[in-house]
Amino acid sequence: MESTTSNGGRTFSRRWVLGAGATTVLTAGLSACGSSGGTGSGGGGTITAFVYGDDAVKVQVKAVSRFNASAAAKKAKGKVKIEKVPGAEYPAKLRTAMGSPNAPDVFFNWGGGSIKAYKDADQLVDLTDTITSDPVLKDGFLPAVLAAGGLSGHNYGIPMRGMQPVILFYNKTLFAEHKLTPPTTWAQLLDINAKLKKAKITPFALGGADIWPELMWLEYLVDRIGGPKVFDRIKNGDASGWGDPAVLKAAETVKQLIDDGAFGKGYSSVAYTNGGAPAVFAKGKAAMHLMGSWEYSTQLGKFPDFAKKDLGWCAFPSFDGGAGDIRNVVGNPTNYWSINARTSNKDAALAFLRDCASEQYAKDLIANGDIPATANAEKLLDASPNPEFAKFQYEMVQQAPAFTLSWDQAVDPNVSTPMLTEINKLFVGKSSPSQFVSALKGLK
Amino acid sequence: MSHDTLPRPVKTAEAPAGQPARRRTHWTRRANPLAGISSAIWLVIVIVPVYAMISASLTKQDEALGSNALKPPSDPTLDNYNTVLHNGFDHFLWNTIVVAAAVVAIVLVLCVPLAYVAVRTRNIWSTSAFRMFLMGVAIPAQAVVVPLYLMIAKLNLYDSLLAIILPTAAFAMPVSVLVLTGTLRDISEEMYEAMALDGASTTRMLFQLVIPMTKGGISTVVIYAALQAWNGFLFPLIFTQSDGPRVLTLGLFNYVSQFGVNIPALLASVVLSGIPIFAVYLVARRALVGGLMGVGGK
Amino acid sequence: MSTTAVKGGSRTGAGRPPGGSPVRAGRPHAAWALPGVLFFAFFAIAPMALAFYLSFTKWNGLGDPQPVGLANWQKLLSDDRLTQSLTVTVLLTVVSWAFQTVVSLLLGVWAAGRQKNRAILSAIFFVPFLLSSTAISLLFYALLDPNFGIIRGDTLGSTNGAFLAIVFVGGWQFIPFHTLIYQGGARQIPEVLYQAAAIDGAGRLRQFFSITLPQLRNTAATSSVLMVVGSLTYFETVLILTQGGPGTDTAILPYLMYEAGFKSYDFGYASAIASFLVVVATALSLLMVKLSGFGAMRSTREGM
Repeated sequence: MESTTSNGGRTFSRRWVLGAGATTVLTAGLSACGSSGGTGSGGGGTITAFVYGDDAVKVQVKAVSRFNASAAAKKAKGKVKIEKVPGAEYPAKLRTAMGSPNAPDVFFNWGGGSIKAYKDADQLVDLTDTITSDPVLKDGFLPAVLAAGGLSGHNYGIPMRGMQPVILFYNKTLFAEHKLTPPTTWAQLLDINAKLKKAKITPFALGGADIWPELMWLEYLVDRIGGPKVFDRIKNGDASGWGDPAVLKAAETVKQLIDDGAFGKGYSSVAYTNGGAPAVFAKGKAAMHLMGSWEYSTQLGKFPDFAKKDLGWCAFPSFDGGAGDIRNVVGNPTNYWSINARTSNKDAALAFLRDCASEQYAKDLIANGDIPATANAEKLLDASPNPEFAKFQYEMVQQAPAFTLSWDQAVDPNVSTPMLTEINKLFVGKSSPSQFVSALKGLK
Repeated sequence: MSHDTLPRPVKTAEAPAGQPARRRTHWTRRANPLAGISSAIWLVIVIVPVYAMISASLTKQDEALGSNALKPPSDPTLDNYNTVLHNGFDHFLWNTIVVAAAVVAIVLVLCVPLAYVAVRTRNIWSTSAFRMFLMGVAIPAQAVVVPLYLMIAKLNLYDSLLAIILPTAAFAMPVSVLVLTGTLRDISEEMYEAMALDGASTTRMLFQLVIPMTKGGISTVVIYAALQAWNGFLFPLIFTQSDGPRVLTLGLFNYVSQFGVNIPALLASVVLSGIPIFAVYLVARRALVGGLMGVGGK
Repeated sequence: MSTTAVKGGSRTGAGRPPGGSPVRAGRPHAAWALPGVLFFAFFAIAPMALAFYLSFTKWNGLGDPQPVGLANWQKLLSDDRLTQSLTVTVLLTVVSWAFQTVVSLLLGVWAAGRQKNRAILSAIFFVPFLLSSTAISLLFYALLDPNFGIIRGDTLGSTNGAFLAIVFVGGWQFIPFHTLIYQGGARQIPEVLYQAAAIDGAGRLRQFFSITLPQLRNTAATSSVLMVVGSLTYFETVLILTQGGPGTDTAILPYLMYEAGFKSYDFGYASAIASFLVVVATALSLLMVKLSGFGAMRSTREGM
């Protein structure tokens, strides 16, 4: 029979128990502080690849199986294990993993500022020499795109997805109805704006809630007004570059567009990511949409009739008196594979990356509706679901004197976050163009 | 006095607990039109978004966001459900069930004795323990996820279901302790006395008095802990990476790309993952109702 | 005595039965709580302590944290966004509490009734809580679309609209949970009290205010602590619905912390915000517990 009182039968003192508890907690805490380097992925030369887990992943998955069965894998004594990381959280997950014993050997990124922190922490393999000495890699890709995957003149990434320039899409049918032609100058654009408003059509669809669609406008305006060197300066870490008059002028132009009703009302509640803005465009509520090239496949997936019959595209117009070439492009050149400096099997990683220049890989991308950034892609484009659009895009990038990386990927994350907030404030009217500029100048 | 028009006179001390339902006149009388209207309004508020969700999950991609959200689909399809089910849903579902069951078990085993101590033992230790859990409610998971990650890696638990189960259980504890202490304290002193007179030990009291009398609180805790595990996203995201220990919430992101969301498929996935947990709720609810019938009438 | 009972429990002191010393039975040794305490300390307190340590360092996730003393804290106290964030957070907490408490209380009491349809309806009412925050926010995001949603007009783009949307969506999700708590509490109210009051001639409304509400005091305390502290750490809705916007008008403190940690990768600063948040929330909950008498662990049914 157990004791009826609560104090019966204790043989150890309370103090001992608590002491033991405290020690356990402390030890765990202290031991967690020193993180070991190196990757913790599977043994025997298997390397892990982190990829952005979305629909387009299937091309990479195929490439991995192809590689694992190939002679190159046997030679490098390693296989690749692909890990699909859920979409929007990819940068956060990558960052956490790279700082831990479970870092991937190969990982997907956007080049530019998205890998700067890793470069600063000496976690990237410098691919410059490897590329120059390997003809497959050196001549396999469009030079501008390959360069955009690097930092300060060194290469850190190999292109592995389609090109994503920002294009001005427009509704051919609506334009024909209202006797409009796609604009090549800013004056023409303003004119089209006025005519559309008279016809009670919103000139431009804009997914303001996501903020990056708004960013696209500023990117192109700054380029057309001041040329690519304006942002180049900022990209290289010079915060005073925001003070360039082109930035102010771009902000003022944006404000003017907003005041003129170019984006309609309520655009700051409309998102791109949940299909809101594409729907506004496809349903004819808006006549134009400045968006990345993926807008085509998005429309094809959601509103195929619109995509096939009414969707048109053109380049962003030039700005009167501006320094930027109309052929300049902004957007994401592509996505890249980079290699972790602490990888356990660098040969396997490199061999895997080499496959990205292959014709088979390019064919898979094209079949998926993407435009590869490879040199051999041009002749394969006829196999694309829409060869006309594919060729337009390819030539656009090929002939571009400059391809500016999306600002939010080009700069360090601790600059891009406040930058996006400031852009949002400008577009909702909570910040004037000059306030916008001074806020940005204060970012480091 | 007639028994038809007035509530029955109370037989206080002699009435045993859990007497079979007599006519609960006062409850029925409290069925007033104001409550009826308010609950009807709330019903609409709850049903409309749920209807929109189910309706969207039956819609084709190209219709999803382009027409009024309230219109039923003109061409309903089960395609989205097919897509979801063929994308590893059963594997993710199993993982999630395991995680939820383990979390609930851990939470109950740890929190019931804890609440017992907090309410019954009135010394400095029990008060401090209670205060610690009060503080625990405030700890944001996002703040500790990185240190936790380092700890889990050190323990070699990374990329396993345990890596999700243990922290999720820990973070479900503060609310559970709060709810349990809330219900436990209403067990009156006399009941303990009565059992003590019977010669019951503290342990026996726990199993024969405390647990049966707090069935309502326990059910609430079961539902809460199960939901934390079921819908938890941050911990699975950061503490696992491969398909092996992947849970439902991560599986949702198969339908999100760099550029947009496949809303119908995503909502189909949400509906499907909501069904098992709704079943858990229905079961636990019965316990909740049953457990509370026995209180009162002293 | 019915009148004493109606006033909601006598105050003869904690756990003291009439005319006797406190019962010695059923008083478990503090060691019973030890496993729970240790488990929680390891998985929640220890990481929080580490996070606190991180607030004195500069760390971007890679390499080792660099000690920087009070730099993060100085930055926190001089940050303009902090004041705005604090104001929004407090406002959101108070408004959410009012909205959720009133509705949960009424619904909980209503659900405690024994009518059959109430059981079915309660089950339906609970569905929102079963859905994940992500799913709910995405759903309402679509429903509030200015062009295709249920409510046309720029809801999420205006400050008030965004704020109210967050309050509403938060309520939509969590009211079922708090209804459950209030339902449990209402069910436990002994019939005796109502019957005695009815004998005394009290009407429905009077019964509600004189019996139901006071008897629900402990329940209200539990629910309120959870609501207040919960809304301080609850931010997924903000993340998906408004991203702290328009501009920064709905950037509550937890959102600020998330932004610093997972968007700017400034973990030192994020940890400082987190530590600040924990201190404020704990202080708040301790205060609420003291004010409501929750901590004394008294029953509302003493003297019966």
